Amino acid sequence: MQIFIGFIVLYLTAVAILLGFSLDKILSGSFPGKDIVRIFFGFILYYYAFDIVIRFILQDLPTLAVQPYLTQNIKRNKLVQFLNIRSLFSIFSLLPLFLFLPFIIRVIDAKYGVIVSLSLVICIFSLTFFNHFLVLFIKRKTILNQWWLIGFFMAILLLAAADYFQIFSLRNWSADLFSTVIKIPALCFIFIAFAIAALYNNSKFLRNNFYLENLEKSSGEKRSAEFSWLQRFGIYGDLMGLDLKLILRNKRPRSLMLLSVIFLFYGYFFFKPENIQGNNLAILLVGSIFITGMFMVSYGKFLFAWQSNHFDGLMASNMNVKTYIKSKLILLTSFSTVAFFVSLLYVLISWKLFPILLAAWLFNIGIHSILTVFIGTLNYKAIDLSKGSSFNYEGMGVAQWIYSFMILVVGAAIYLPFALLFNSWAGIAAIGILGLISFLMQDWWLDKLTLQFANHKYKMLQGFREK
Amino acid sequence: MITINNLIKSYNGKVAVNIPHLEIDKGIIGLVGNNGAGKTTLFRLLLDLVKADRGEVVSNENAVSKNEDWKSYTAAYIDEGFLIPYLTPEEYFYFVGKLNNRSKADVDEMLSDLTIFFDGSILKSGKYIRDLSKGNQFKVGIAACLLQNPEIMILDEPFANLDPSSQIRLIHMIKELNEKKHVNILVSSHDLNNITDVCTRILLMEKGVIIKDIQTSSATLNELEDYFRA
Repeated sequence: MQIFIGFIVLYLTAVAILLGFSLDKILSGSFPGKDIVRIFFGFILYYYAFDIVIRFILQDLPTLAVQPYLTQNIKRNKLVQFLNIRSLFSIFSLLPLFLFLPFIIRVIDAKYGVIVSLSLVICIFSLTFFNHFLVLFIKRKTILNQWWLIGFFMAILLLAAADYFQIFSLRNWSADLFSTVIKIPALCFIFIAFAIAALYNNSKFLRNNFYLENLEKSSGEKRSAEFSWLQRFGIYGDLMGLDLKLILRNKRPRSLMLLSVIFLFYGYFFFKPENIQGNNLAILLVGSIFITGMFMVSYGKFLFAWQSNHFDGLMASNMNVKTYIKSKLILLTSFSTVAFFVSLLYVLISWKLFPILLAAWLFNIGIHSILTVFIGTLNYKAIDLSKGSSFNYEGMGVAQWIYSFMILVVGAAIYLPFALLFNSWAGIAAIGILGLISFLMQDWWLDKLTLQFANHKYKMLQGFREK
Repeated sequence: MITINNLIKSYNGKVAVNIPHLEIDKGIIGLVGNNGAGKTTLFRLLLDLVKADRGEVVSNENAVSKNEDWKSYTAAYIDEGFLIPYLTPEEYFYFVGKLNNRSKADVDEMLSDLTIFFDGSILKSGKYIRDLSKGNQFKVGIAACLLQNPEIMILDEPFANLDPSSQIRLIHMIKELNEKKHVNILVSSHDLNNITDVCTRILLMEKGVIIKDIQTSSATLNELEDYFRA
C-alpha cells in the first residue's frame, strides 16, 4: 500500500517537473501567436481551484493526540506550530513549485527581470500556503459540523457552474490579476498577507479547540431508537440496525457517508452528452459503478474495523460467524440498492444509462460486495470511533481510493475482454450477467467468506485490541 | 463442563498461559494472580478470542475453536470491549436479548429484578454506554450476562470498578445465581477478601501457570495473603 502511494507521488512529481520545464513550448505550440505569458497566468488560479478540491479529498490532517502533551512542560503554541509545520511536508506543497517555477524562471525572468519574477515566485508560494492552511481549516471545521462540508462543496459547485456557464471567467480573472502583478510587483505582499491570515486563522482555531473532545460529549439527552422496518429481516435486521446506529451516532462514519451522498452527483461528471452520444460506454460504466457503489466503498473500507472497539463482545456473543457475515452482505447490498434507485434519476438524461446502471448495480451487489467483505477480513487496524473529531481524519486519505481502484480493476478485467472481442455493449452485458450470477451464488460465497473470516478472526481480534 | 488440555499461549516468546490440564466444573471458581499472570488471556482463550499456540479448550465436549455451540450457554464480561458504546443501555440489553431469543417483555422483566443493582443510574439515563462511568459500564456488562441466562458466566475483575455497595450486591447476586439457577461462574479479582468470600474453589496463577488449586476454606484467605506477601 505504502509503495503504491509512493509510486503515485513519484509519478506526479515526474509529470509536474516535465510539464514545468516544457510548459513554454507546450503553450506556444497550442496557442500560436498568442501571448503565452497571459495564457500561463490564466492557468494559475485554475490550478489552485483544483488544488483546493484535490487537497480536500486527499490531504490527510496532521494528527497528534495532544492530551498527553498538554500536561507536559510544552507550550501550547509550540504544539500548534508543530502541527502546522509538520503538515507542510506534503506532495501538494511541492507540485506547484515544480509546475510553475521553471516557466517563471525561463520565460518571465528573461522578459521582465528579477524583481517581477521574484514577486511572482512569492505569489506562488503564498497561494500554496494559503490553500494548504485554508483546506486544513475547512477540513477541521467539517469534522465539527457537517454543514461546512455541504457548504464547501456547494461553493465549489457554484464556482464551477459560474465558470462553466461563463457568468464569469476564472481564466480572465487570473490572467488580469497576474498581469497587474507584473506591473506592480509590490502586490505580492497582498498574497503574503493572505497566506499569513490563513495560517493565523488555522492556528487560532487549533488553539481554541484543544479541549474539543471533552466539550463535545455531554450534549443533549440520548434516546433509544428503534428501526421497526428492519424487524422483518429478523436477526439480520438487528445487526443492520446496529450498523446504521454506528453510522448515525459516530462522527467519523457519519461524515464519510455524507460525503458519499455528494458523490451521487458525480454522475454529471461522467454522464456528459459527448460520452452518451459518443457511446463512451466504459466511462459511463465507471461512473455508474461509482455512483451505485459509493456507499459500499465508504462503509465497506472499514467494514469490520468500524466495530473494532466492541469486536471482542460481538465475537463472544451468541451469534454465528455466518450470521454476522450475512448481515454485512445484506447491508452492503442494501446500500447499493438504495444508491441504484436514486441513480435512476439519471435515466432522465438518456435511456441508454438504464442498462448500464443496472449492470453496475448487479456488479456491485454480486461481486463488489463479496470483495468488500473479503478485503474487510484483511484489515487488522482498529478505528477509534470515540476520538475522531478535532485531530483525526485517518482513513479519508489515499488508501480509500486505492480500494476503489481495486474494484475498478476487477470491473475492467470482466469488461475489457468482451468489449474488445465483441463490442462495448457485450462488455456491459458481461458485467451485469456475471454480477447477477455471482449474486445468485451468494450462499456459496457466504460459506467461503465465513471460512475466510474464521481464519483471520484472531488476527483481527488482536489488531483491533491494539489501539 | 470445561476441560483444558495442554493449553499454551505465548506472546513474543513470553509464556502467557501454560496449562497442561485443568477441569473446571460446577461452582464459583475464582482466579487470582498478579498483573501479567495470564488471567485475562486465559479467559480470552476460553471464549475463543485468542488463538492458542497449542492445546485446546473443550466446552461440553466441543472444542471452542471448532464449534460455536458454547456461545449459546456462555456469557462473559471482560472489559468495555464487550459493550457497544454508541447504544443506550436499553438498546444494548434488547440487542443482547434478541441474540438470545428473549422478547422485549422478557428483557424488561429481568431488568426490573436489577433495579437495586442499577441504583438508578443505568436505565433511562439519557446517555450512550460510552458516556457512562466505568463502574456503570461494568454494571451494564454484568446485567447483559445475566440476560443471557447462561450456564457459564465469566467475569474479569468485576469488583475493581464498583462502589462498595455494588460490590456487596454483586457478591450476593453471584452466590444466588449459583445456588438457585446453578450458573457456574468464573471470576477473577485482586480483592482477596471478596474472592474467598464468594468462591468455592480458587486457582492461583503465576506467569501463566496455575500453581495452586484450592478448595475454599476458612484458612484460604491466610494462605493467599501469605503467597502475595512473599
